[in-house]
Amino acid sequence: MAFASKSPWVIHYDASSCNGCDIEVLAALCPGFDVERFGIINTGNPKHADIFLVTGSVNERNIDVVKEIYNQMVEPKVVIACGICACTGGIFHDCYNVIGGVDKAIPVDVYAPGCAVRPEAIIDAVVQGVAILDEKSKALAEAKKGA
Amino acid sequence: MTMLGFLIVFPLIIAAILLVVRNNAARSVVVVAASLIIGLASIWLVAVGLNGASPMYFELSSPLIDGICTAVGVVVAVTVVCFGVKYKNPLAVVLALIQVALSLVFEMGFAHGIHVETPLYYDQLTLLMVFIIGIIGSAICVYALGYMEDFQAHEPEGSPDRRPTFFALMFVFLSAMFVIVFSDHLVWLFTGWEVTTLCSFLLIAYTRTEEAIRNAFRQIVMNLLGGISFAIGLFVCALSLNTLSLTEFLVIGQLAPHIAVLAVTAFAFAGVTKAAQMPFHTWLLGAMVAPTPTSALLHSSTMVKAGVFLLVKLAPVLALCPIPGGMLTFVGGVTFLVCSCLAITQSNAKRVLAYSTIANLGLITACAGVGTPEAVWAAAFLILFHAIAKSLLFLCVGTAEHHIGSRDIEDMDLLFDRMPSLARFMMLGIMTMFIAPFGMLMAKWATLEAFTTAGDVLLIILLAFGSAATFMFWAKWMGKLAGIAGQSRNVELTVHTSEWIPIMLMAVLIGLGCVGLPLISINLVEPYLYYVYGELAFPIGFDNLLIAGIAAIVMIVVIFAGLGHSTARKVDVYLAGISVDNNNRTFKNSMSGVTQATARNWYMKDWLGEQRLDLFGTVACGVFIAALYVVAALSAAGLF
Amino acid sequence: MQILITVIGCILFAVLAPIVGCLLAGLDRKISARMQGRVGPPLLQPYYDVRKLLEKDHVAVNSSEGVYITFALIFAVIAGGIFFSGGNLLMCVFVITLSSLLFIVAAYCTRSPYAEVGAERETMQVMAYEPMVLLMAVAFFLATGSFNVSAVFSQSTPIITTIWLVFLGFLFILTIKLRKSPFDLSYSHHAHQELVKGVTTEMSGPTLAKVEIMHWCENVLFLGWVGMFFVWGNPVSVVLGIAVALVAYFLEIWIDNNFARVKWQALLGSAWLVALVAGGLNIGFLMYW
Repeated sequence: MAFASKSPWVIHYDASSCNGCDIEVLAALCPGFDVERFGIINTGNPKHADIFLVTGSVNERNIDVVKEIYNQMVEPKVVIACGICACTGGIFHDCYNVIGGVDKAIPVDVYAPGCAVRPEAIIDAVVQGVAILDEKSKALAEAKKGA
Repeated sequence: MTMLGFLIVFPLIIAAILLVVRNNAARSVVVVAASLIIGLASIWLVAVGLNGASPMYFELSSPLIDGICTAVGVVVAVTVVCFGVKYKNPLAVVLALIQVALSLVFEMGFAHGIHVETPLYYDQLTLLMVFIIGIIGSAICVYALGYMEDFQAHEPEGSPDRRPTFFALMFVFLSAMFVIVFSDHLVWLFTGWEVTTLCSFLLIAYTRTEEAIRNAFRQIVMNLLGGISFAIGLFVCALSLNTLSLTEFLVIGQLAPHIAVLAVTAFAFAGVTKAAQMPFHTWLLGAMVAPTPTSALLHSSTMVKAGVFLLVKLAPVLALCPIPGGMLTFVGGVTFLVCSCLAITQSNAKRVLAYSTIANLGLITACAGVGTPEAVWAAAFLILFHAIAKSLLFLCVGTAEHHIGSRDIEDMDLLFDRMPSLARFMMLGIMTMFIAPFGMLMAKWATLEAFTTAGDVLLIILLAFGSAATFMFWAKWMGKLAGIAGQSRNVELTVHTSEWIPIMLMAVLIGLGCVGLPLISINLVEPYLYYVYGELAFPIGFDNLLIAGIAAIVMIVVIFAGLGHSTARKVDVYLAGISVDNNNRTFKNSMSGVTQATARNWYMKDWLGEQRLDLFGTVACGVFIAALYVVAALSAAGLF
Repeated sequence: MQILITVIGCILFAVLAPIVGCLLAGLDRKISARMQGRVGPPLLQPYYDVRKLLEKDHVAVNSSEGVYITFALIFAVIAGGIFFSGGNLLMCVFVITLSSLLFIVAAYCTRSPYAEVGAERETMQVMAYEPMVLLMAVAFFLATGSFNVSAVFSQSTPIITTIWLVFLGFLFILTIKLRKSPFDLSYSHHAHQELVKGVTTEMSGPTLAKVEIMHWCENVLFLGWVGMFFVWGNPVSVVLGIAVALVAYFLEIWIDNNFARVKWQALLGSAWLVALVAGGLNIGFLMYW
């Protein structure tokens, strides 16, 4: 049995979002939605986190930050693009300085669209992400056994 | 007795040889051979002494030696006067003249009538000191070979090579220390006492810089005050007690403490100055200008240990005399707390070590002042482990200084990478100083028990807070050493073998000491206590010592074999942004420039201002000592 | 003989303390959630967390950090074993201090800027609570005549009757030792992010799991110290001791949820003042009256 799904710790990064989605992400983490019921904790430290919540369309300035945070997260890990900008670039998609979506920088596992993304959608996405996390965790355990 | 004489005379002969040998290779041979012989002779004496549980006294009657003592006293005074005149320090001249006048009057007028049957002796406490002086002291001499070579290389071109004098003084120092611990004749002891004062004066002034001279004079002034006090003690002994034998004096003191008050106070004062207790602590801080082997020698096996040795010898009388006993407990306790706090504010490694030495000597002084068997047990182990650990630390700092170019703790960042072995030795030394299961903490534990059973609230509080401060300054230093970045160049390949051997020897001694603590207690410290007090003290308990011994072995193995062997995959450090060079902790800042993350240790200078605390300790201890001295004098005057 | 009892005590503690500590940690999160009007995680959430951490990839910034942490955990267990087997209280205090030191050095050795600041604050916290802990041990000796924890069972009254002031002082620094706000400067269980995660910033996966287990053991040990004050010759009093320990734990959770973090000056100053007043007065009273 994999325990990753029972304690998904998240880290949240704002990659040039308008802050709308960030407010919703933090709202989801606040007592009103009480995601700690599912063991979710906002860690603020990539080394502790299992799930990476990224908001915003990612631009040239912060693409390296997104990559570095992703690289510093310990396997198994899952990335969730929160909000339409993070998914596709949203209304900023044709701006000159915008990459246009998190998946242009790092591999994304779950897309949670919306402008701004609703807390319920984020929770839904995390639940989906948790399933992927479990799979990855099992794969890692297999790999460890094999090695 | 031959052995006692040998240990005293042999270093003097070596010193004379070293004075004329100017060739480096020849000097190395002489120093190594002599150190080896002194070390082996010390071990042999300790081994022989272990067989007999009671002290050994040796009859000797030689007016020649008495004459030599007087002559040595005059030579010391003349040397100080010469230096005082040359460097225009009237205070030192006056004090030296007072002292030589006192001792000459004493020799001519009072001492002749009193005969000491057995001027030489050794007991188990002496053996402990012999071990410290013979092994650690001579190891430091060996270390000095390599160190002084580098030191001379760092000196400006054309500066005179004073190494012959330096090494000669080191060996004279050892000889003088042996005189102090072997002499039952108080006048002989006093002679050794004065020689150590002079030797450290000359060693501190070694570089002849303005600062060195100034600090050397501070040392001589303070220790001459102690010397004068010692002379006063001799007068009182001769006049009112009619004895000059330390053993007899202690017996009389225990039987009739009220007669001995002034003499004990005078000796205690001398011990306090030599042990660099507040307000006399500044001389030991100033002594840091000398080359590191000098510091190691002064701090670990000689000089300050002479002070606490005398105090511990006096302990049974101090336990019965509230005036000098109270003086020592107060001064020692306050010194421990204040100097531990001051050590937090220092970034210069040698100053941290100096404050730590003063603090630990404070603890020993307080133990002597309490004077119960448990307290003396604690004091004996504090002396032993402090000597080993402190010399290890000084040797490590000295070597580090020559290879990283600084003695600042901030510059010892990443030492674990740059000097992997040395950093581990230094960590071992640091841990021995302040954390269980290593020796110093076991001794502190005994101290706490002794203070508790003695019922001294003030001391318990001072000890509790001082220990907390101790944790702070050692832990942050150790943390600084422990840092690992992975890529630094190893710079310890050029460390001299003559430096490695003493360092390793100290590390081995730490291991043996921590594990063999119960054995040392049973064979050395307890027989002494039984002989002096007629009762045994074994404060910590065998089971606890066993646990501590095992834990100490585990920690030593962890430091030397465990660290660096984790199998985890290596990743970068989190810098909250875009790393540029992760090992250097540089990252891209908000202006797209490159910034390096730096962290300095915490010095709490706003809280623990050096000047404020120093002033407090100096004034409190100074006033207390002066007041009690006067009280002791008055109470003695009532008797005359 | 005592050494054998200690070894058995350590083994039992190594098995039982993580279980109890884990449940206590779960209870803490549950109660905290309720205090904030939330449902909170399952009781076994800390267990799930640790199991997950053990499943994570084993990475570290250097090859020493994990060694320090492993031995910090081992010494924490030994300290607990010494205490609960009735061993020497001072020995227990010193061994747990060694464990804290190794934890601090583990953080220092990573050379992460955040971990370094956390380590420095942790060092300062040890300096803040150490006097009170030592004075507690001395007061314990004065109250029972021995440093052995088992001595409480030969008392006719619990030691709280003679050293209640020391107990209050100890409760004060217990907040620091349990890493509860307002004294959670070095590393907080909540999402204060100014230090990222303080001491544990660079510890991840299995290493972090060891740290969690170490904290469980420490918590059990410290609550054992609380219970010790209320136990005497009557065997039923052990229940009272456990009850009081749980009340103290609840009190700490309440404090945690009701106070904002203070500055280090306030922490150090207040902890030393409390130690001086509570410890000094109580010990002085016991010695002179």
